[in-house]
Amino acid sequence: MTRQVQDAYIVAAARLPIGRRNGYYKTTRPDDMLAHAIKTILAQVPEIDPALIGDVVGGCALPEAEQGLNVTRMGAMMAGLPASVPGVQVNRFCSSGLQAVAMAADRIRTGDEDIMIGCGTETMSMVTMLGNKVVLNPAIYDNPRTFGMAMGMGLTAENVAERWEVSRDDQDAFALESHRRAVAGIQNGSFQAETAAYPVTTRTADLASGEVREAERIVKDDEGARPDINLEKLAKLRPVFAANGSVTAGNASQMSDGAGAVLMVSEKVLKQHNLTPLARFVSFAVKGVPPEIMGIGPIEAIPAALGKAGLKQDDLDWIELNEAFAAQALAVIRTCGLDPAKVNPLGGAIATGHPLGATGAVKSATVVHALKRENLKYGMVTMCIGHGMGAAGIFEAA
Amino acid sequence: MGSGGLVRKAAVLGTGVMGPRIAAHLANADVPVVLFGMSPASGIPGADPVQALETLKKTDRGAFVSRERGAYVDTATYEDDLDQLASCDLIIEAIAEDWNAKQDLYTKIAPHIRADAIVASNTSGLSITKLAGLLPDALRPHFCGVHFFNPPRMMALIELIPGAATDPAMLDRLESWLVTRLGKSIVRAKDTQSFIANRVGLFSILAIMHHTQALGLGLDEADALTGTLINRPKTATFRTADMIGLDTLATVTDVQHRTLPDDPWRAHFRSPDWFAGLIAKGALGLKTKGGVYRRVGKAIEVVDIASGDYRPSGTPASDAVTAIMRTRDPVERFAKLRASDDKHAQFVWAVLRDLFHYCAYHLGDIADSVREVDFAMRWGWGWSTGPFETWQAGGWTALADAIQQDIDAGKAMASVPLPAWATARDGVYQDGGAYSPAQDAPVGRSTLPVYQRQLFPDAVAGERFDEGETLHETASVRLWRLPKIDPGIALLSFKSKMHSLEKGVVDGIHEAVALAEADFDGLVVWHKPPFGVGANLAELLDFVRAGDWASVEAAVAHFQGATKALRHAQVPTVAAVDGMAFGGGAEVAMHAAHRVLGLECAIGLVEAGVGLIPAGGGCKEMVRRASELARMRPQRDPWEDIQKAFRNIIRGATSRGAVHAQGMGYALPGDTVRFNPHEVPYVAIKTARSLADAGYVPPLPGRGIKVVGAPGRATLRMELVNLRDGGFMSAHDYLVSDTAAMVLCGGDVDPGTLVDEDWLLGLERRQFVALTQTEPTQQRMAHMLETGKPLRN
Repeated sequence: MTRQVQDAYIVAAARLPIGRRNGYYKTTRPDDMLAHAIKTILAQVPEIDPALIGDVVGGCALPEAEQGLNVTRMGAMMAGLPASVPGVQVNRFCSSGLQAVAMAADRIRTGDEDIMIGCGTETMSMVTMLGNKVVLNPAIYDNPRTFGMAMGMGLTAENVAERWEVSRDDQDAFALESHRRAVAGIQNGSFQAETAAYPVTTRTADLASGEVREAERIVKDDEGARPDINLEKLAKLRPVFAANGSVTAGNASQMSDGAGAVLMVSEKVLKQHNLTPLARFVSFAVKGVPPEIMGIGPIEAIPAALGKAGLKQDDLDWIELNEAFAAQALAVIRTCGLDPAKVNPLGGAIATGHPLGATGAVKSATVVHALKRENLKYGMVTMCIGHGMGAAGIFEAA
Repeated sequence: MGSGGLVRKAAVLGTGVMGPRIAAHLANADVPVVLFGMSPASGIPGADPVQALETLKKTDRGAFVSRERGAYVDTATYEDDLDQLASCDLIIEAIAEDWNAKQDLYTKIAPHIRADAIVASNTSGLSITKLAGLLPDALRPHFCGVHFFNPPRMMALIELIPGAATDPAMLDRLESWLVTRLGKSIVRAKDTQSFIANRVGLFSILAIMHHTQALGLGLDEADALTGTLINRPKTATFRTADMIGLDTLATVTDVQHRTLPDDPWRAHFRSPDWFAGLIAKGALGLKTKGGVYRRVGKAIEVVDIASGDYRPSGTPASDAVTAIMRTRDPVERFAKLRASDDKHAQFVWAVLRDLFHYCAYHLGDIADSVREVDFAMRWGWGWSTGPFETWQAGGWTALADAIQQDIDAGKAMASVPLPAWATARDGVYQDGGAYSPAQDAPVGRSTLPVYQRQLFPDAVAGERFDEGETLHETASVRLWRLPKIDPGIALLSFKSKMHSLEKGVVDGIHEAVALAEADFDGLVVWHKPPFGVGANLAELLDFVRAGDWASVEAAVAHFQGATKALRHAQVPTVAAVDGMAFGGGAEVAMHAAHRVLGLECAIGLVEAGVGLIPAGGGCKEMVRRASELARMRPQRDPWEDIQKAFRNIIRGATSRGAVHAQGMGYALPGDTVRFNPHEVPYVAIKTARSLADAGYVPPLPGRGIKVVGAPGRATLRMELVNLRDGGFMSAHDYLVSDTAAMVLCGGDVDPGTLVDEDWLLGLERRQFVALTQTEPTQQRMAHMLETGKPLRN
């Protein structure tokens, strides 16, 4: 069991609609997206004085260029937080956002702080997968232990598909179900409470008039989910990462842009302002696995997080398992024996997208709102992580 | 002023197959274009020019030479923008072949056209004189037909058709401009139905249909007999028909039936029942994914004439006819063809006989001379030889007699006799002239000055052009000059097979540079395409098989010395590149001081295909260029260009044309691109002269070349790990690619290390030798030598 002096409660959680790469947010900066998420959660709890926030912890998986420097500090300042509130950027690739939430919670749990923001942001439109410039250490090839660090994520998914015997058909069916659930979720308004509609502004050159043409469009729903997808279309896609493989663009997560943030407080602050929390932060675990099969990371992380919380897997009512690839998601579901009905009830990254470092914060928002909306008790966010890791965080309805 | 400034801006009217593509090619040639169509409000499908242009950009990667050129096609509508026509010097109409539509359009546009603008129709079926009648009198002298072939960028031919009122001087100016600026090959046609190429081409298809049915052959059999076997494209007859669209063919056939009442072959201008049946079923060819042929999985099926059902295709030509067609002497070949009782041989003879008959009968009506007909079929339909040159090669008189005999015997498709001139003459190409019925004598080529830029145009019937004076000649190279163009510029031409870089050629480069430095002002490397296809693998394999690695390394060093000599020669060296420049050929081109490139040349470092890396300075040059470009950037980081070069080299990528080669870094931004490949040697000589006169100074051997070193190689290797472990690349591909990575990164040194050219050449050379020592590379070299195809191992 985790030793702590006080609990951390989530009192607000919001995220932007996820945009497809070069879609909604083609020209929207990641710090602007983050600022919008932060402003949204602060507005939801006006009782809290922003000057009392201890720190803003923000995830970002490829912190360079537009999201380089310290994108969290940048986003916090843009959101209007006082200069006295600091900001830190953390990177654990695909779990960066969850890592940020966990680190923010821990500052409260140790008693050092009473109000914290955990968040994440990522633009894959502006910073491509792997970043703008990769320079590897030549020594990784000298050792079979480190060789897997050179493998692309897609190839590691192929490795998982092969070793865990996940067929192409199963992957495609999983992908289809992800889209079906996401489309249904959007249609019946399940995402409404967590979603912070974003006014996308563009400034383009009107060559004829010589004027700058400004336009604004408010985006409300996740951009990636496709109502028109079917198994035939999915079956036609060719494997991308292995000549005789099974992983396609259709059964892998989409590259996306997005941001999310959660506001956490101690019990003391809850009482002081008579706030109703959405959820309590219960536990977090991160584990390493061989990099060449990074997709099975959650297999190690889930039991570890459950163990720290003193919970059984069956106690979980809602699981956000990041769909990096259908292959690894299915391998994790089957190996852990997760109930498919409880996993991603509103679809996952295959349908709605995976803005790398933002995903953990986005899914935290999804899970805490789901617990409240559906009147459930325990929820979890878990994901696999490049270079061979897995993370899991557990939340309890409050 | 020459024709260069004839067209500053053009308009293309029409959003069908041709309009947007013609517009694209004008933009390719740096002519801003306005593409006209109808506003979306018209509701007519496909008429919106914005949509048409977008579709073209998405579906036809080859229409534009680069994505950027797309920005130079503006769109406009007849409803709102006709005033824009006033700024256009050339207006090409390419709307549907509908008289009423053309009448409407011409009436609408006429008031907006400048009096000095040229108006041309891309019609393939309507009379130019009649169309001219739709325009005001003042515009008629400036109106003519310019009939492009699809795709307009790739097909050389434009038929240029004067109407009765067309100003001959305008036509000359336009022809000159189309030749040098758009790079097209012009045939002047008379204003008759379908002009020349399609008149003859359609007849050829109808004749083949007729004889296929008459002899009870399959359509796939007919294709086996009317493709490469008789010097025509692989798509032969019915695959070509599928490409054209069966409905289009039927329409044109009907039009000819209607408009050529006196044509003795008129009875044959009808679509056969099986053909009409396909159209009725909606099987129109490639556009409907089924026509004469259809693809079922991996198999290709052909329609059966009798039943109308599809069956497996692939019936080959008979051994008898194949043997006959391999006969070297064409006179003997035709004699055997006529004498054979093989059904396929009889078919081929019948098809050619009726084609010759048709062409001879109509020659005087449709063309000035036989040259126009032969070139129209070569440039417009992709035949390697036209009908008249084929006939003459087969023995004019003997074949004329044979044709007349068949006519008399009722075997030919029409009973009219051959024209008198055909039976009276003993040939149609004589003394450099081509027979003209109007003159009743051979006439020479066009004397327009623009053709003086073509030193070696396409030749017919053994034509020869000025080959200048030989300065030095070996079995592998000829060193010469063309005193009429510039006695001070030496030319080096390779004589090796496919212009491979055999030892004699490499010796020749060394000798040519030495001679040029001693006695000339510049050196041009030129020969007819291909420019060069790489090293002579046979020579290398001899050393390899003998385990004589010192000789392998010496051969590489010898070649490196040759490319170095070209690059650092005291006189300007110009590579005149048309066609393929692969491997060593690319390296020769890359090392010249300047390149003059034919628009469609293909350049690539393709050594990986035979398990090798570029070692004639190809890798060195890419690293040197990357470092040089990096000097202009704030970070001075050559990485991106190294990565790009690496990806091109390991894939053996070759350019889709000269502009693409510039984008790939194999040609330089300042190189000269000529749209007309026939101008390449002339322009190269002039370029060498101009460089020399401007005070040419050769570049010093590169020093201070910044390399990305071991971490760069490690990063490139990451791509290889994924390709290999993903099953896209064999273990040997991985080794070859990793070797290329090592050389391109400058060796396993710290990033940012400064090296010189010799360091890089040393890496290239040693790694090349190391690869030749591996068995899979040896197998690849041997396989390529034996089969001409790459081995995947």
